[in-house]
Amino acid sequence: MAEYHLKAPLTEEDVCKLKLGDIVYISGEAFTCRSRLQKYIFDEGNTLPFSTADRNVLIHNGPIVVKEDGKWRLVSFMPTSSIRFEKWGAKSVDEWNLRMIVGKTTMGDETAKMMKEKKCVHVSPRSVSPNLWIDSIEVQDVYLYDELGRIEAAWFFKLNDIGPFIVDIDTEGNNYFDALDVEIAKRRETSMEELGIEHDFEFTKLY
Amino acid sequence: MIKTDVYEQVLFETVKRGATEISPDVRDAFEKAIAKETNPDAKNGLAATLNSMDMSKKRENPLCVDTGWPIFYFKVGNNCELEGGFVELENAARRAVARATEKGYLRATMKHPLTGFDPGNNIGMNIPDFTYQFVDGDGIEISYAAKGGGSECFGGTRHRIVAFADGIKGIEKFVIDSFVASARAGAVCPPSVLGIGIGGTANVAANLAKEAACLREVGSHHPDPMFAKIEEDLYKALNSLGIGILGSGGDTSVLAVNVEYAYTHIAGIACATSTNCMIARRASARINADGTVTKMRSPMWFGDR
Ligand code: SF4
Repeated sequence: MAEYHLKAPLTEEDVCKLKLGDIVYISGEAFTCRSRLQKYIFDEGNTLPFSTADRNVLIHNGPIVVKEDGKWRLVSFMPTSSIRFEKWGAKSVDEWNLRMIVGKTTMGDETAKMMKEKKCVHVSPRSVSPNLWIDSIEVQDVYLYDELGRIEAAWFFKLNDIGPFIVDIDTEGNNYFDALDVEIAKRRETSMEELGIEHDFEFTKLY
Repeated sequence: MIKTDVYEQVLFETVKRGATEISPDVRDAFEKAIAKETNPDAKNGLAATLNSMDMSKKRENPLCVDTGWPIFYFKVGNNCELEGGFVELENAARRAVARATEKGYLRATMKHPLTGFDPGNNIGMNIPDFTYQFVDGDGIEISYAAKGGGSECFGGTRHRIVAFADGIKGIEKFVIDSFVASARAGAVCPPSVLGIGIGGTANVAANLAKEAACLREVGSHHPDPMFAKIEEDLYKALNSLGIGILGSGGDTSVLAVNVEYAYTHIAGIACATSTNCMIARRASARINADGTVTKMRSPMWFGDR
């Protein structure tokens, strides 16, 4: 598995070379969103109040940010689970021209299909380590703060080599966790056997 | 009579400690997991998590950006007297949560289930949640647990009635299937502290599972060998699956499997799981009748475990 230190905004070339399981660190401009923002844009018909042309890394995250002496200070940051945003995933990749989504877990098939078409990847963390990241993130600005609140707003971050993140959806739409699922399923069979649970065990149907 | 300002301060400190300091038993479990991990990326992930958690204590910031559902457990002495009574205890707990949110130890995470309204202080209908247990004595033990959204939302918390015909095999299959599905891609933030409730009505089983996940000391065992065996068998089985930290492969998928039980109806066995995430946040303190306070290493909610 290769390790890359990428600089956003990301080019097609930057992301097309990434393979499942590769480790990436990211620098440069990114923005955050949670479901409330996607709902606001895609379901409620509002337009994004900023351009994503030079900000094509999206982080699924609701950070803790406080204002001190007129400046924003990031108190805590951890990518949140992407899978719950699947409803708007493909649209986000398509309409916001994203090259990378950073989030815990992964995205579903529809988003993966769009990632293949538009050349975008999903990467996820391998630790819960906010303190190893917050010093490397500068809070630049915030949009939709009044409309969506502190956590669901779109925060503009400048990242300084934050990671490691693992590539879990590549630009061919393949998913790292699919292969892992097969291995886990195999081991699950062995575990069940060891516990004396028959291969064809069926629950007595109560409802 | 325990004064309001005494218990209010203990409530606040317990919330703060729960949000910002890793419990010693969870820390021990992390160190063991790091030592035996054979997957280098998983080893790094566990070490980075532990490193960050140690930094949280010094920096007094949250262990994770998701500061969870605020939940209180009170183990109350039968002769415990509180100034203002228990209504005031709950009011003080709400004030403590609001203050901890204002100070940035908690993120404003609780919102209205339908409108999405964010009160900004984690206080709302039935939140925080309170659970009581009554024992001999005249003091009170206060535990705060913060149940992470990942650990609760992705199928780590489930319920099924298992027929007596299916017995332990049915229970174990239910647990393994639930855990594998919920840990996919790291949804429940494994390695988990998996709580299992067996017996009672569905809500009794679910509460036991949650308490087993959030309050039992990691590394403790059920005193009844029958239940201890289920804990041990499932701990081994789940850790052999290769799910690993955040579900991306590794040797440790659960830090502990804790089972608690209640008697059940002859018609069936309610069985519930509750998965706590790797950071397994909680903190406890005891207030004696004379107002003196002792920090507790773990809640000891189930007698000595
Ligand atoms: S479930 Fe995951 S994201 Fe939520 S508090 Fe726990 S570790 Fe953090």
